[in-house]
Amino acid sequence: MTKENNQDNKDFQPQFAIESSRAELDAAGKSLSDALRISFVILKIIMIVLVIVFLASGFRTVEPDEQAIVLRFGKIHGIGEERLLGPGLHWIFPYPIDKIIKIPVAKKVNLPINSFWYFETASEMLPKGPKPTRPPKDELNPIKDGYCITRSEQQSQTIAGFSGSDYNIVHSKWQLTYKIDDPERFFKNTYTDDAKPGQSYADVIVKSINPLLQRLFEDAVVTALVNYTIDEALFLSQGRISRHVQKLLQEKLDAIESGIAAVSVQLIEMKWPRQVDAAFQASITASNASAQAVSEAKGYAENTLNEAGGPIAEELLAALEDETVSKQEKEFLWSQLAGAAQEKLYQAQAYRTKVVETAKADAEYLQKLLPEYRKRPKLVVHEIYQDAIEYVLNNADEKMIIQPSEGTVGSEIRILLNRDPTIKPKAK
Amino acid sequence: MKNIAITIFIVLIVAVMAIYLVSFQVREIESALVTTFGKPTREITEPGWYFKWPTPIQRVYKFDSRMRVFEADIGETTTKAAVPIIVNTYVVWKIAEPLEFFNAVGTVKEAESKLLSQISDTQNKVIGRHSFGEFVNSDPAKIQFKQIEEEMLTDLKQTVRTDYGIEIKTLGIKQLKVSEDVSKDVFERMRAERNRKTEATIAEGNAEATKIKTDADSKKTELLAAAEARAKAKRAEGDAEAAKYYEMLEEDPEFAILLRNLEALKKILKERATVVIPADAEPFKLLKEMPDIKPKK
Repeated sequence: MTKENNQDNKDFQPQFAIESSRAELDAAGKSLSDALRISFVILKIIMIVLVIVFLASGFRTVEPDEQAIVLRFGKIHGIGEERLLGPGLHWIFPYPIDKIIKIPVAKKVNLPINSFWYFETASEMLPKGPKPTRPPKDELNPIKDGYCITRSEQQSQTIAGFSGSDYNIVHSKWQLTYKIDDPERFFKNTYTDDAKPGQSYADVIVKSINPLLQRLFEDAVVTALVNYTIDEALFLSQGRISRHVQKLLQEKLDAIESGIAAVSVQLIEMKWPRQVDAAFQASITASNASAQAVSEAKGYAENTLNEAGGPIAEELLAALEDETVSKQEKEFLWSQLAGAAQEKLYQAQAYRTKVVETAKADAEYLQKLLPEYRKRPKLVVHEIYQDAIEYVLNNADEKMIIQPSEGTVGSEIRILLNRDPTIKPKAK
Repeated sequence: MKNIAITIFIVLIVAVMAIYLVSFQVREIESALVTTFGKPTREITEPGWYFKWPTPIQRVYKFDSRMRVFEADIGETTTKAAVPIIVNTYVVWKIAEPLEFFNAVGTVKEAESKLLSQISDTQNKVIGRHSFGEFVNSDPAKIQFKQIEEEMLTDLKQTVRTDYGIEIKTLGIKQLKVSEDVSKDVFERMRAERNRKTEATIAEGNAEATKIKTDADSKKTELLAAAEARAKAKRAEGDAEAAKYYEMLEEDPEFAILLRNLEALKKILKERATVVIPADAEPFKLLKEMPDIKPKK
């Protein structure tokens, strides 16, 4: 800067020399020329400073979350990717040649959409505290109360007989998150209010485009929700509905080349109208009770099968009916059985063992005695017989020997038995 | 030299002022119309730097060419079968042809009032062509909501473009409602439907619970039957195996039967038995008299 200054001074040096020599002739003229000279120097400095300020004013910073467009004589400057300036320091021609428009592209903006909710007074909207419970009116005011219409289920058309155009009403609250993803399109196509003095273009964006987004969003919600039944909307596919709305919204945003992207659509709340609250609550209670009954039944089923056959009962049953299951597998399953069924099998097994063992023992006993019996039948029989009698009588609690009187017919013997009090009746 | 510098300076300033007088910029977001003595002569829709005659001769009118949104008042209309319905339509529009716009409309405010009447015309016309069932239907395939919006857009687009130089970018229904009285009926029906559903839910739940229980019971019976069959088979196996040993008894059936009887006797009279025996049975007859035996020769 100073270097430039010096050079300018040098250029004008000879001129000053001539002037001063002339001034010697006239004192008044000299003082005038002095004054002129000083004012001229000042003017020159001012001009230089102005030029510098003018040039320096062309430096512009684009913040990290912004991208910028340069308008040269009103037209977007640059070709292809150069049309957008990224974050950093840029130099542009000062006004009125160039104008820079900075657009916040990374900034995500939330827009709550409450226009599908019933009318609430200011105090009812407060999130906390005791709310005065205002009983809902019987009807919804189409101007004050917001809602959506959902389609009804297919079978109900026969009940009301209204050509299948029955519908239900739901209230909902949403939140849209959006950002500008195509700054050039956005700048060219989307209306924004004029920036007031002291405001930048970025400052007026959100306020300016919210009305547009609000309407496009409401359109998407209305369009989407007529495709769902109230039960789907309330209980089943809220994520699906959000995605549906987002898709419709993005289609609209693209169709009008707004350069805005719907980042996410969130369904905050979906609620049936307060007017039918009792019926819905009852329905939910019934659903819960129903689910409870089913789960109890499942518990019962599990217990029953467990008692009957243990944990593998069902597997075994399935295997028995399935012809493809190999015999080995079935045997394995049988061996895993527990509970009442297993008990039966154990008893059968015990019976089998007993029968076989007894028969075997009898046979062996006979085989052992047979040779001796053949040699001395009478003695052997007697021996065995008396053995048995002995055993029996030894074990008998009471033994009575009675002399039969010969020749008497129709005589009778009476025996009085004392029942042993220690004996308990045999458990059956 | 000094004079030259000053002259240049003055010339520059004058030039700049002159340029201001005879030129203008049209930005990307604008279109412009140049009038000569009040008569529109030039329409500019491309951004850039343009020249014109100074102001009293030519004037420039600029129009913001970006999309604006406009919403018609919420209004009741009727569908084909005279079913009342309340819709709220919005349009996204922009000034597309400055000349037409300048001639027919002039200002944005005026444009909005023109749009308002056009929208309600279109709304009545198009919605009147469709039945309520095409807005909402239990059969999703019959819903023509989007098509209705499209139809309204097509209808509106034509007129406002040629008449007002306005382009409608999109159109949509942002609220679809019914009148207060109808909403009462809807609630009545919703209640009835819900109650029916409640009953159905209870019935379904009970039916399912019963089914599960019966199913379990029948499975149990089935399982026990299967186990019983298997047990029977096992017992039969035992009997069959035992039968092998009976063959061995065949060698002397009489003796075998005796042995078996004695065994049974022992077992039967094992406990708590009172035995009454005639005194002439062996060996008690010894109590009566000495046996008469002699050694065998």
